Amino acid sequence: MNSLQQHESPEVTDGQHVLSSRDGCPDHFRLLVQRYQRPLFAYLSSRLGNQLEAEEVAQESFVRAFLSLKKLRKPESFYAWLLGIATRVLKEQFRDVERRQKDRAVAETLLAESSSSEPEYPLEEAIAALPESYRQVILLRYYEGLSCQDVATRLGMPLGTVTKTLSRAYALLRQELKARESAEATVK
Amino acid sequence: MNANNMNCAECRDNLVACLEGLLEAEQSRQCQAHLESCEACRAEYGAINRLQERLTARGRVAAEVSLVEPVMRVVCQKQIEPERTTLMSLLFKSRWGFGLGAAASAAAVLVMIALAAPRAQAKAADVMARGARAIAKITHIHLRGQLRTLPADNFSFIDADNAFYPIELWKQFEPELKWRVEKPGRVAVMDGQQTVLYIIPGKVAVKFPQPSSSAFDTDWLQRIANLSNTISNELRHAQAQGWKLGLTEETGADGRLKTVVSVMAKSGVPDDDYCKNALFMTADTRRVYRFDAQSERLEAVQIYLTRSSGEVQIFELSQIDYDQPIDPNVWQLELPADVSWYKEPQKLPDNEKYASMTAEQAARAFFEACAKQDWDEAGKFMSPVTDGLKEYLGGLEIVSLGQAFASKSYGSRFFVPYEIKLKNGGVKKLNLAVRKDNPAGRWQVDGGI
Repeated sequence: MNSLQQHESPEVTDGQHVLSSRDGCPDHFRLLVQRYQRPLFAYLSSRLGNQLEAEEVAQESFVRAFLSLKKLRKPESFYAWLLGIATRVLKEQFRDVERRQKDRAVAETLLAESSSSEPEYPLEEAIAALPESYRQVILLRYYEGLSCQDVATRLGMPLGTVTKTLSRAYALLRQELKARESAEATVK
Repeated sequence: MNANNMNCAECRDNLVACLEGLLEAEQSRQCQAHLESCEACRAEYGAINRLQERLTARGRVAAEVSLVEPVMRVVCQKQIEPERTTLMSLLFKSRWGFGLGAAASAAAVLVMIALAAPRAQAKAADVMARGARAIAKITHIHLRGQLRTLPADNFSFIDADNAFYPIELWKQFEPELKWRVEKPGRVAVMDGQQTVLYIIPGKVAVKFPQPSSSAFDTDWLQRIANLSNTISNELRHAQAQGWKLGLTEETGADGRLKTVVSVMAKSGVPDDDYCKNALFMTADTRRVYRFDAQSERLEAVQIYLTRSSGEVQIFELSQIDYDQPIDPNVWQLELPADVSWYKEPQKLPDNEKYASMTAEQAARAFFEACAKQDWDEAGKFMSPVTDGLKEYLGGLEIVSLGQAFASKSYGSRFFVPYEIKLKNGGVKKLNLAVRKDNPAGRWQVDGGI
């Protein structure tokens, strides 16, 4: 325990953030919000077709996630779990619209409009299925808007590793999207 | 190379770099030439391109969104309100004895009132919940205190027999999380983008290229800065683990009424563990939180190490500035030009030779390399080997090495007892801390020199 004690790494994985948040340390939850606010918003925006509502639902989803963190069985699956919460909040939102307007047709129209705004399977759900190291690179590149070089600097990895990780992530995403879209087509 | 010598495998390996515009001109030309001649690779290129466009569009939709502060404001509120009720009810229901006798003797100099236990339970919960609420919306905090430690050692390191050294923390919660912790021999700064530790005597720096809420064993102090959570955590742990709570009231030097809550905290680390009481997380302590009764804000904290031989004060937080502007320079870390950066060990051509060593063998090999002043070899067990360390350990003589042992309380480290004779004639007898949880799987010296 001398001055060369150097290895205490920052708590960076989703799982570690979740465990620390559960332990009453909301700064860790803050970093989870920072990490997933954009993909969650994009997901909700595609579902709702309305950015203002998407923002409200995203906020509500994060707060509910925080309050239910203890129920999360797999802390490393935080993002997929968050999307599940957001989907439930969305459904409540639709039900609320339905109830308020007492007009099922309005809600159905809203649902139809929202689904037509994203004809393809929402990317954010496929991203949730990626291993965390791939997901991290995708989120930084596209949702944080960093260049590959900036991603490399941020993650302390060579540029070539970033492009290889992206390449692998694209392959997994395409695989996931294809599987989900064909499953959805079968159901329909 | 001619225009067509990139094959399908090479082309696919380079597709992402090509789409990102990261290839050298010649490579790019070769890639394009292959694409023109290969339908399968062209299809793959098109598929990746379409996915990229889709991702870019999704990112653009969300580019302006900023949910962190609105969410965290609600989270902080929600966290405090239910806890207040829950903790109150828990405390009312429980039948703990409050450690007033033991706690009051060392903690409260100006004790005026010691409340009866059932009332004290409710009052302690209430005081802490109010204290949490009083500071729930702060955006900045600055803590100044002193700690019995070694100046350049780990931020969590406690040495009850040593002098007090100043320790300070600055923390910004909004608009972006930033923090800095500093004591005379080491500084850690998280500027919102990256987390850097600088160890002043060896001019060694460690960088993590991402933000963190806590790092480099500063967690115990960060928790005090997150007062609302610290307070509720203390109550939660007290309830769950049977820690004793004490409550007194006193008149402070400013003539105002103060409420003092003390918590007897057990680390759960066995007394025979090598790391027992050496770090905050392995220490049995009594923590004393002093609140101003009127403002309900926390004003001071004292932490006492509780040992069989008696209590020793190891930490005193004497100044807490709430929401005072923090000089932006605080988030800057000036490093000397000759700073040595810590690098995580990477696999060596003969990595297996080192990876298969036992902790004792690694300790011996490290000391032998120092004895021979073979710094390349020593560098395989420690990064970086600073000039100061070379001067200190160069030419040493190994007197003895013992059997490695672990500390269950301190992660994956092993400790190898050693006795060495330094070239200046001095004898050093201690335990060398080593760990191998790194990508290369090699033992690395982690302390104990």
